[in-house]
Amino acid sequence: MTTVNERVVGAADTVAGQPTFRRGPARPTVVPRPGLWERLGQSTRVTMVSAPPGSGKTVLLRSWISAAGVTERAAWVPVARDEHDPQRFWLSVLAGLRQTSAGSALVRTVTAAPDLDEWSIVERLLTDLASLDQRLWLVIDDLHELRSEQARRQLELLILRAPAELRFVLATRHDVRLGLHRLRLEGELTEIRADDLRFSPAEARELLAGAGVELTGPVLTVLLGRTEGWAAGLRLAALSLAGHPDPQRFAVEFSGSERTVAEYLLAEVLDRQSVQVRRLLLRTSVLERVNGELADLLSGGSGGEAVLQDLEEANAFVVSLDPARSWFRYHHLFAGLLQLELRRTEPGEVTKLHELAAGWLAGHGYPVEAIRHAQAARDWRLATTLLADHWPGLHVSGQDATVHALMAGFPVGVRAGDAELAALAAVDQLAAGSLQAGERYLELAEREAASVPAGRRGQTQVLLAVARLHLVGQGGDQRARAEEARRLLAVAETSEAAQPGWAEELRAYALVQLGDAETWTGRVDLAEPHLEQAMALARRIGRPYLEFTALTFRAEIELNRRLPRAEELSRQAVELAERHGWTEDLFMGFASMTLGSALTWQGRLDEAEDWVQRAEFTFRAESNPAAAMGGYYVRGQLELARGRGADALAAFRAAERLAGPHPLARPLRAWLVYALASLGEAGQVEHVLAGLSDRDRGRGEMRIADAVLALARDDPRAATMALAPVFDDSARVGWRSWLAEAFLLEAVARDALGDPGAAGRALEQALDLAEPDGTLMWFLLHPASGLLERQARQRTAHAALIAEILDLLGGPRGNGRRASTRERDGLGGLPTRLMEPLSTSELRVLRYLPTHLSAPEIAGELSVSTSTVKTHMRNLYAKLGAHRRAEAIERARALGLLAPSARPR
Amino acid sequence: MLVAMTTDDVAGARGAAQPGLYEIWVRGHLGELMQSAFPALQVQTRRGDTVLTGVLTDRAALHGVLAEIEALGLELLEVRRLPPR
Repeated sequence: MTTVNERVVGAADTVAGQPTFRRGPARPTVVPRPGLWERLGQSTRVTMVSAPPGSGKTVLLRSWISAAGVTERAAWVPVARDEHDPQRFWLSVLAGLRQTSAGSALVRTVTAAPDLDEWSIVERLLTDLASLDQRLWLVIDDLHELRSEQARRQLELLILRAPAELRFVLATRHDVRLGLHRLRLEGELTEIRADDLRFSPAEARELLAGAGVELTGPVLTVLLGRTEGWAAGLRLAALSLAGHPDPQRFAVEFSGSERTVAEYLLAEVLDRQSVQVRRLLLRTSVLERVNGELADLLSGGSGGEAVLQDLEEANAFVVSLDPARSWFRYHHLFAGLLQLELRRTEPGEVTKLHELAAGWLAGHGYPVEAIRHAQAARDWRLATTLLADHWPGLHVSGQDATVHALMAGFPVGVRAGDAELAALAAVDQLAAGSLQAGERYLELAEREAASVPAGRRGQTQVLLAVARLHLVGQGGDQRARAEEARRLLAVAETSEAAQPGWAEELRAYALVQLGDAETWTGRVDLAEPHLEQAMALARRIGRPYLEFTALTFRAEIELNRRLPRAEELSRQAVELAERHGWTEDLFMGFASMTLGSALTWQGRLDEAEDWVQRAEFTFRAESNPAAAMGGYYVRGQLELARGRGADALAAFRAAERLAGPHPLARPLRAWLVYALASLGEAGQVEHVLAGLSDRDRGRGEMRIADAVLALARDDPRAATMALAPVFDDSARVGWRSWLAEAFLLEAVARDALGDPGAAGRALEQALDLAEPDGTLMWFLLHPASGLLERQARQRTAHAALIAEILDLLGGPRGNGRRASTRERDGLGGLPTRLMEPLSTSELRVLRYLPTHLSAPEIAGELSVSTSTVKTHMRNLYAKLGAHRRAEAIERARALGLLAPSARPR
Repeated sequence: MLVAMTTDDVAGARGAAQPGLYEIWVRGHLGELMQSAFPALQVQTRRGDTVLTGVLTDRAALHGVLAEIEALGLELLEVRRLPPR
């Protein structure tokens, strides 16, 4: 430090003889710093501006943007104070980029939603920016405030993979750990540090002149020596000196003082303000941002807005946050000093000020800030009430991570002792995926629920209902889920329950959950209107995410009724997800699964493959067993339709492990039997069937499975006997579509028994059932080409359908009838070697990719955490240039990193 | 910056969870205002610099103090964990 000191003082001496200075032009003046501007302008890929508070980082960057004339090409993204929410951070990055001319054309918006995966936001952004052909700067200020480790890793990914025209300027108080060593080695990292930011004597002179301060040489020398060119010190000095009667005396006293520069000068500055301004500054320092109304409220005065605008013009550490200059914030360091002064001079006022702020912010639609102030005032009741009232809004706008951070602001003892807060904690823990902790808080909240004051019971019941609904949704008991959804619907409808305005969100949410649960309990008649209501309501209140979830479930219903409609609706859902940037969402997985399934059932197997893969990719990143089960289920059907019995069996087995009490568990047994029968494994079939109760064995699906087995054993007589109860309706099938299969099997059996007439009639009935929706799946599972050809020659109402089926059956079996999109496009863009080698841990994870194991399962195999595995998967995809698991596998194989596929291709 | 962290004591796992007696050196003389930012610590001036001394419950408490020093634009010179008396 002493060397710097000497350098500055020494340099100052050389200009000490100069006379007074001219005043700068219009206020507020900014000192031109061409040397630093040039370094920013010539910018390497990343410029890191790393220096303590008050070094003039923000002023430098803003002045560079305007001096270099790159306002249209620089995205300005300040990180919010103590930012824990990666979604909020990334949405602000997108918003910043979209304000630039290139960004507005390239960068698609992402709509905030619960459970958004920020990694995919970054991937999407990279895709959007791939065609960037002009220089664009992403300037991130206050990067040190980004507390989310995940968001920092995502930023690292963006930096490493961004196109060369995208430049990053990162300003931070202290070095932030980003893995940028490679860029440093390549000379693509520029650093501007505290020493570089120090004001030279000439610059200091200019700064003071801009504030109208004319100093003689020795005074300037003292000032420079004492502040060491520190920007904040110089600016404070300029404020103290503006209109000062005796600069000489000021300089003598300043240099004689032992106190730190900031402390000494703050006192000077405050001394020179009017009582009103001083009071305003001190009292509003507790705020994250301030406007005129808040300033008046806290200072008990009037005209606050004008005071703030004056302060900004005087360059007094106040900056406006909007073009209308109605919101302001103080420089962090300045605010910190003011807060200390407030605490010292008016210690009794601090709590009251936080309470006032909380009340105003809550009443004006800023719940998050209001809650922080209530917490600062240690008014836990108010903070809890605000959080409970605003939870639905925060949740649907994707701010679960913010809620989580707010929850951490309550002391542990308070959290467990208040029923409403415990209910919030339950919801928070469940949303974060901590089921056990969620359950514990739920029990606690239920036990204490009676102690909640009358006016708050409704809200508590809402939170409890949401938590319980979430919990049963994980379990798979659909009746319980429907029950909880109905309860939530009921509490959402009582007038006192929900904060005005949120009742409709809750209603829509409850209807979505209820509708889906009803679908799975066989009450499609109820599910359909509920989901339709949810969709209409979501559209009306402008909640596209709720509409998306309702639409996804609505499409699923049609899977068992009208396949083309299922396809249409799921495509609509996919389109909605793409428009809003939710393509990695769990519900995108469901929509893809429905679409893949609808296509499979229509015999469009190659198209189906793409969507089933998409569903699998989404589900593997999730820890939702019901979703993963659905993915395996559809995968098994697709493989079976292709004649790949072994792959189908593996998928069905994986589904079986996860099925639990899921309504698909029963048909799943039938599918296992089909897969085993197709492999000639009759012995194992007995094993599957042995575990069934008589009642389950008597169900239609299992009778059909028996028939399949009988035919596999060349026992057509037994097959017809197994099927008889299906036709006389004594053995019901869950879905009408299965009747088509029964008739088809009946036709095969009758034909084998030498009764072509009966066979023809049964086949015609199977075709009758299959025709309206083009349900070709059964005909692929049980190929009966001879029978179909004969039918075509005889009288049939389904000649075209038969031709289509025969066409599908005639193609090379198990080979995918048409080249898939992937195969058609080839792997033209494939790198022949990796730019960055895979690490040992990444290689370990890579070996598991071709299996059906999910990320948590791989984590279990490798004895590491799920998030570690996910990180490795992300890195693998990035290094392989792949977006999906299947793509990564394919590329890894092409690169010789994995053994070639064992599957027939 | 002349930060001489005795890393062994500060960041090391050893004894991290136990309260420890710390001596934190900050450049310059802290006036009443700056001192008020560290109510839990004893403040002395030595050789023109300031020494903050006191028992900090754990590592989080230590980092809280360091963050405060950074936020106030103070220059950290040294952090030292003193042997238990």
